[in-house]
Amino acid sequence: MKKKSIWAIVVIVVIIAAIFVYYVTRPPKIARPIKVGIIDCYSGPAAVFGNDALNGFKLALNEINKEGVLGSKIEFMTRDTKFKVDIGLSMAKELVMRENVDILAGTINSGVALAVSDYVRGEKVPFFVWISKTEQITKEKGHRYAFSTGENTYMAGKAGAVALAKKPYIKYWIAGDDYSYGHDIGNAAWRNLKQLKPEVEKIGESWWKVGEPDLIPYITAIVTAKPDAVIFCTGGASMTNVLKAIKATGMAEKVPIWIHTATDHTVLKPLGPGAPEGVMGTMDYHFYYPDTPANKAFVKAFQDAYGVPPGFPALHGYITAHFIAEGFKKAGSRNIEKFIDAIEGLSIDSPVGKIEMRACDHQATLPMYLGVTKKVPQYDFLISTDIITMTGAEILPTCEEVRKAREK
Amino acid sequence: MFNLSALGAQFLVGLSRAMILFIVCSGMSFVLGVLRVPNVAHGSLYMIGAFSAFSISSLFGGSSAGFWLALIIAPLIVALVSLIAERALFCHLYEREHLMLLLFTFALMLILGDLVKLTWGADYRSIMAPPFLRGSVPVFGSSFPRYNLFLLVIGPLVAISLYFFTNKTKMGKIARAAAVDREMVGAVGINVSWVFAVAFVIGCYLAGLGGALVAPTVSITLGMDHDIIIEAFLIVTIGGLGNMWGALVGSLIFGLTQAFGVLFWPQFAIVFPYAAVVIILIWRPTGMLKAVW
Repeated sequence: MKKKSIWAIVVIVVIIAAIFVYYVTRPPKIARPIKVGIIDCYSGPAAVFGNDALNGFKLALNEINKEGVLGSKIEFMTRDTKFKVDIGLSMAKELVMRENVDILAGTINSGVALAVSDYVRGEKVPFFVWISKTEQITKEKGHRYAFSTGENTYMAGKAGAVALAKKPYIKYWIAGDDYSYGHDIGNAAWRNLKQLKPEVEKIGESWWKVGEPDLIPYITAIVTAKPDAVIFCTGGASMTNVLKAIKATGMAEKVPIWIHTATDHTVLKPLGPGAPEGVMGTMDYHFYYPDTPANKAFVKAFQDAYGVPPGFPALHGYITAHFIAEGFKKAGSRNIEKFIDAIEGLSIDSPVGKIEMRACDHQATLPMYLGVTKKVPQYDFLISTDIITMTGAEILPTCEEVRKAREK
Repeated sequence: MFNLSALGAQFLVGLSRAMILFIVCSGMSFVLGVLRVPNVAHGSLYMIGAFSAFSISSLFGGSSAGFWLALIIAPLIVALVSLIAERALFCHLYEREHLMLLLFTFALMLILGDLVKLTWGADYRSIMAPPFLRGSVPVFGSSFPRYNLFLLVIGPLVAISLYFFTNKTKMGKIARAAAVDREMVGAVGINVSWVFAVAFVIGCYLAGLGGALVAPTVSITLGMDHDIIIEAFLIVTIGGLGNMWGALVGSLIFGLTQAFGVLFWPQFAIVFPYAAVVIILIWRPTGMLKAVW
């Protein structure tokens, strides 16, 4: 009996000692890293943009994590939305609820972006939209937790309108992909053009289904109608089909054409010399423009890391990471509300110059470059030339417009 | 606006689109007729044809020779892929019901789609036609792409070859017989399994040929399988299931209604081919020509 109780005491003492030793010798608690959850499309045709944005983000994190943020690091994890709204939304929920991410970022799909934006509003998790071009994110459906580090249909349409209003064209034809992006670009361009130059006239419209492989019938029908200029509203794989059809029919020699992102190198590069010359395009980033040391350094670092020059999503991913890092540094705290207060009106240096996160709508003030496609000896694909830069302030809606749109 | 020259140009444009559709759909209809397999993965083989054409063409630095070789070799690559799929998978499943086969080919479509992504990546690809097929020529006062003229030549060539194959060769005759009554073909001592394999490979070869032919006019990208497969099913249905000439009729209806729809009512051009499908199916529920089912 006695022996047993001695043994019991010994066991208890050993256990207590072990617990004590564990608590004394365990490694010191370090600050939990800032976790960014990324939901984007990494499968299907849109994957090329998702990966580009992610690479830009990773490149920035490598720079940021060298010195750290608030004594910690920024970590990220990715989830594939497969370009589907329901999957994107459930991935966002999973990241917020199970992984406890501090911030969400991503997505090319506007449907996913709007659904997740709606969700984070209730969860009070900041969400940075970096590719989706729907203006609703920061305009009518904007809120305290939604941010956009990319350009949108409003900026694109207004940039096109500002450029076209200076030309002598009166009769316009609008054609494009029959989905929200196509119509948004078309509407934004037309609304702004009509405002800047009331005498313009729309003589016709044609809309084809997304991914329509054969656009020649559309092109020949448009040329038959003899408009002064044509606005094409297209993107992604359809853009290549449009440019091929323009080239095959020689349309660019007969009618002036403006297409947002026609000057994007991810579009022009695969086409090589098969792309049409003389097409007007707008773009918020070119790896060869602006020709500044900041952009050159960014392009070199990106090229060294991933073997290809950065596209526009890479720039958006890159500035997103810097906005997050600078926001936390300025806030001096991990508190999300303080972070949002800090990031509102914050300006950062980027490869395309100073970019501000507007306080009134959480839209990054990216510039827009208008150029014309042209063959040049330096590259084996066409590039944008005769570039005119429009600043973010010129092409963004005013804060008053945003306020009115949100009241509706 | 609707003058005769515009109509003429639009007719030719629609006709050239119909040629591509015909080449792809005739293969699908052939497989459907002989094997009774509704092959959802047909679109994936079309996509593989386009991607293979890109690889071969870029192997030759995008030269003319590369394009012609791509046109010859890419469909053969697709034929090889389909032969492997047939011998390894399909040949064990012919006795299953259609629903099972539909699900199986759907699964195959997803697998092939991912294999394409693993092999070629997610980037957009593009190839160029040889110089004499680039640019346009004036036809009826509007400019008509030369490549589409080329398609107008190739389409009938394929149709004639198919006619000779099915009517003049022993293999073709057996395949046609198997489409009507496969038990009887087996009963007279013909190895039905190999007839099926050959028919399947020929059908898939046509998918690959369609993919290689379309490659210079579009962006070669993931997702082009989905774009074509729905149209292909509709065309095969309105033409008459399993009837290759039905595929031709269906393709012409689809291509031409689209081209004229664009001219007359551009905002709603998308609707026209589908409206035509609805009208035809109400008028003739089994399709324009005799279905073999």
